[in-house]
Amino acid sequence: MRGRVLLIRVVQMVFVVVAVVTIAFFVLRIATGDPARLVNPPGTPEEIIAETRARIGTDVSIWQQYVNYLSGAVTGDLGTSFRGSQPVAAAVLAALPNTLILAGLTVFISAVLAIGFGALAAWRPEGFVDRLVLGFASVAQATPAFWLAVVLVLVFSVNLRWFPAIDMTTWKSFVLPITTLVVSLSPILVRTARQSFAETLSEDYMKAARARGLPTWRVLGVHGVKSAALPLITLIGLQLGFLLAGAVVVEAIFNWPGIGKLILDSLASRDFPMIQGGILVAAMVFVLLNFIVDMLYAMLDPRVGAAQA
Amino acid sequence: MPPVDREPGGCDELVTLLEVRDVTKGFEVRTRAFTRSKGTLTAVKSVSLQIEKGETLGLVGESGCGKSTLGRMVVRLLEPSSGEVRLSGVLHGSDDPALRRSVQIIFQDPYTSLPPKMRVRRILAEPLLIHKIVPEDQVESRVRKLLDDVGLKAEHADSFASELSGGQRQRVSIARALAVEPELIVADEAVSALDVSVQAQILNLMRDLQETRGIAYLFISHDLGVVRYMSHRIAVMYLGEIVELGTADDVAERPLHPYTKALLSAVPTIHGNVSAPGARSEPPNPANPPSGCSFHPRCSWAQDVCSLDSPHLIEWKPGHHAACHFALEVFESSENRDVESPLGGRG
Amino acid sequence: MTDLIGSGSQLELDSDRPGRPGSVFKSPMALAGLLGTTVILLAAVLAPALAPHDPTGQNLTDILAPPFWDQAASPEFPLGTDGLGRDVLSRILYGARNSLVISFFAMLLGSSLGLITGLLAGFFGGRIDSIIMRLGDVQLAFPFILLAIAVLGVVPDRRAWHVIVVLGIPGWIIYARVVRSRVLAEKEKNYVAAARAIGASRWRRLFTYVFPSVWQVVPVIALLDFGFLIIMESTLSFLGLGLPPPAATWGGILAEGRRNMVVSPWLPVLPGIAIVLTVLSINLLGDGVAKVIDPSGAKGGFRRFRPRLLQGSEEAAEPAPLLRVRNLSVEFPDQNGTISAVHDVEFDIERGEILGVVGESGSGKSVTASAIIQLIDPPGRVTSGEILLEGEDVVRVSDRRMRQLRGRSVAMIFQNPTASLNPVLTVGYQMREALRAIGIPQEDVDETVVRVLTTVGIPEPTRVVRQYPFELSGGMNQRVMIAMALAAQPQLLIADEPTTALDTTTQEQILTELVDLARSSDISLLLITHDIALVSQYADRILVLYAGEVCEIGPSAQVISQPAHPYTRALLESVPRVEVRIDRLEAIPGELPDPRESRIGCPFAARCPHVMDVCRVTDPFPVEIASGQWAACHLWTENRADVMSS
Repeated sequence: MRGRVLLIRVVQMVFVVVAVVTIAFFVLRIATGDPARLVNPPGTPEEIIAETRARIGTDVSIWQQYVNYLSGAVTGDLGTSFRGSQPVAAAVLAALPNTLILAGLTVFISAVLAIGFGALAAWRPEGFVDRLVLGFASVAQATPAFWLAVVLVLVFSVNLRWFPAIDMTTWKSFVLPITTLVVSLSPILVRTARQSFAETLSEDYMKAARARGLPTWRVLGVHGVKSAALPLITLIGLQLGFLLAGAVVVEAIFNWPGIGKLILDSLASRDFPMIQGGILVAAMVFVLLNFIVDMLYAMLDPRVGAAQA
Repeated sequence: MPPVDREPGGCDELVTLLEVRDVTKGFEVRTRAFTRSKGTLTAVKSVSLQIEKGETLGLVGESGCGKSTLGRMVVRLLEPSSGEVRLSGVLHGSDDPALRRSVQIIFQDPYTSLPPKMRVRRILAEPLLIHKIVPEDQVESRVRKLLDDVGLKAEHADSFASELSGGQRQRVSIARALAVEPELIVADEAVSALDVSVQAQILNLMRDLQETRGIAYLFISHDLGVVRYMSHRIAVMYLGEIVELGTADDVAERPLHPYTKALLSAVPTIHGNVSAPGARSEPPNPANPPSGCSFHPRCSWAQDVCSLDSPHLIEWKPGHHAACHFALEVFESSENRDVESPLGGRG
Repeated sequence: MTDLIGSGSQLELDSDRPGRPGSVFKSPMALAGLLGTTVILLAAVLAPALAPHDPTGQNLTDILAPPFWDQAASPEFPLGTDGLGRDVLSRILYGARNSLVISFFAMLLGSSLGLITGLLAGFFGGRIDSIIMRLGDVQLAFPFILLAIAVLGVVPDRRAWHVIVVLGIPGWIIYARVVRSRVLAEKEKNYVAAARAIGASRWRRLFTYVFPSVWQVVPVIALLDFGFLIIMESTLSFLGLGLPPPAATWGGILAEGRRNMVVSPWLPVLPGIAIVLTVLSINLLGDGVAKVIDPSGAKGGFRRFRPRLLQGSEEAAEPAPLLRVRNLSVEFPDQNGTISAVHDVEFDIERGEILGVVGESGSGKSVTASAIIQLIDPPGRVTSGEILLEGEDVVRVSDRRMRQLRGRSVAMIFQNPTASLNPVLTVGYQMREALRAIGIPQEDVDETVVRVLTTVGIPEPTRVVRQYPFELSGGMNQRVMIAMALAAQPQLLIADEPTTALDTTTQEQILTELVDLARSSDISLLLITHDIALVSQYADRILVLYAGEVCEIGPSAQVISQPAHPYTRALLESVPRVEVRIDRLEAIPGELPDPRESRIGCPFAARCPHVMDVCRVTDPFPVEIASGQWAACHLWTENRADVMSS
């Protein structure tokens, strides 16, 4: 029976990706008007514009363009960049891993910090550690990623020269971007973990566990962590968009060759295929990650997988 | 007919106030995760019963027996999958205002039965306003009268539900039900969540209201003692069916059905003597009921016929019905209290 | 009763009720947030009046002037100038205006959309709900930031409303989800069904009944969303996708300043500080508002409080009982004062006996039980007294020692068995863990598990250990709890309403088994319940508690047939029985006393049919009435008149 469920889920995922791409396609076109005109500088003669139109494929109706795009996408052809003529698919797929590394490391480090500090803070609510942790979280949550990145660059690159400010080269070049992203993502994870731990601590089964003589570290570490981790997993799934926003900013500041930078660079030249390609691939990754999050949750929480009756 | 020594309040006309005819309720449930396959859980199976004006019918059973579901169908908060619920012979539409003025319901949990953000005055005014029972300028005085009828002071009209105790909240629920001047009130575990010392107050209040206003009750509870105290007649439910029906005294002292007997012996008694052994093992899963008589796997009197043939509700003694092949044997065993039942043991 | 309703907590504290709006001023953090937010809002609104210069006024003779703390600063430009000579302070003030206005309207847009869709989806369910939730799923998969960037980047004439729409619309899902789940929760509550029963139409139910309990979540989310949007707006401006120049935006100032950041590092830093302070104030305010709406904070924590011992322990003349409780008082402090849950309670439990404790809500029976095993829910604590378990005072032993005692010398089972087991771990795992904790060697654990499960009457133990608690019935789970509790053969087993949550027939099975097991292993049982018939049937002795104090204690048969305390008697007369016909119950008038009010005199005085003047003034001490039977009542101390004849 699981096969049937999986199939339904895959169909849903495909539906979602198609929906995203469709929305992106039409919103972009509606917002901007005639791409052929935008690609050329103002004042270009009409024949050149018509020529451009033919070249980039906008001489047919918008529905036809849409269909062409989709049929191309299914076979892996995401069109050709308006600037130069490199295939979009290749460019996007080359940039993708760089963003994924950033995001992946950030999530991992943030989750570890969240569980650690969340548990510490929830141990004695309203206590000193709790207030400290929450205080830091509040300030970090109010700190924009782009500003923090600039400050870090000022301090560590310009003044202290410990870490490079741009490009993706050695392990050192990872430090500042990841620090920025971790400071940006952790606060909400820490708060949620702390809340979750605190609630778990006051659950009946925790009291019953202590009544059986279980040592406190076990009560917190085994029972507590497993129950508290669940909302954290869901939350990470919900924060993917926010994480991507941070990645875009970080890539811009640190000149990191990821998807964010790719799209930003394509904006000025109105390179629609590249922009759409980036959005499509990002959507696919999102959908996949959400799926993984749901699977992970179901694995950890047996109630989700069980019968209703 | 109700027994003579407990006169129901109100008029003597023998119009059947409530008639439940062959009512069944099934729910669709997913039998396995992540699949489309659905099974049906039959919460109430072909139940029929009547309540006369001014009488109290007690409906008793354990969790999962369908008594609450049946209660909600009587108030038409749920629609039966098949069968009819008639009030004074009339089959109403489910949101017919005339229906809403005839039947009301009181719920178990005093803490969620009242809207948290409304003052008592508003809570009681709502039914008056919806049905335009009194003109607007008389709403305030009617609210005060309702409060007085249920034993609350006039100043409680300004309170929020969260400022009242459990017993006081149940009184407000009763007042809300009384506002439309109903003929029948369904009390779904109305006192089960109250402290013991307050329960008796509410029970007595309900009885007094029956005396003065002639209200009939469908009194649903798992507590046999409370049901006996409140009811003229008692119906016992098990896995969606009525297995016994009779006067309160008959059912409580000389039951015809093994399940009733098991329930009675399972209840802790103050005067200490435990009689026959209780039911064996655990209540079954309502989604997967046993074949034949649904009680047979736990029954001390069970024989082969019980797993094959589902017994019907038959009047074994005058006014006393049971759905059991061996009702008379069960009856006899109460007459001779010192004879222990030979079959069965403890789970 | 709070326990029956399943809140599980020992006490319903005031902190569980919504607070009044004024109380936001109690917390210093929230106050700081309110202040900060107000200042910044005022600054933004009054920017034209406050700004010393035109924010777009260039001044090429005085570019990159440093701020006031530097020697080379010019007094005209308190925070210096940027690369085009524009006054930084003025630009920051106008930047506040732009950023706040855009973020505010974006927040309004998102919250309105979200509130409406959440209400509709939650209340009407069905197809509407499916569609809305499906849309939400699509949204979640949306890298909306990329779309936002794309749209803003390519739109030819970028205006404020573009930014507002792009920022605001995606926010709907956050509000919708929360509102929807609140609506779903409220919809299930009986007051909505009652509204339907009295004839309220669907729209009336939604707006008059459900909406007032639901809308409060929105302001909190909106405030935090507002702060978030300010950051998002600045991020977009930083990337050059916000309001086009020469408009002043915080992100824009930062981006421009970055070009000169090596020379003038304050240029990118100052606007960021403005953002941090603004968002921090808003977040603190949001937290404060959240607390007002839902003050119940986490009450966790593991600290035990050990009061000073006021008098020495009495010497035991005879062999000491297993458990000796003396002068036990437990209090729960909260923001409004102190609740006295248990007051000067005294009793003993002998080896191998079953003591039944009877009381209603507020009687202190559960709190007393928790005190014996030292697991009182915080913030409760023992304020006086001692509890001697085989001579050891558990109130004062070390945490480590208490942990050793739990499970091995004293064990406890609770009211809701399924809630007492961790839902995400198998039964077998939890049992093995429990056995290891009480010192059973690893190699014996598995067979011990099977053995104890069989002892408590669980069929197919090897299958059960692989299951999760929610897959088993309440009765089975309670048997598992009993098995774990008895595994180490403790001297004392505390059972707090062990069968209240179970069916009548299951109740009897479990209690009989429990009692049999206790007797056969010579384990003392402290059986706590609200049901006086239950203790009369199963207990050797009965202790009756009322409002945290002892009323009566004595052998069951005696207490039941000849109750000495008026409360015990009234209780017996007001409980409906199935085994006899009762014409009229004698209800006890009045209500249970408020645990917050100070105790003067006998707690039952207000409701007692035999009350005398002395009862209202002096709290009676327990006095021995008959052999082994004690009652705390002035009827017995004043005139030894026989209450039972009256």
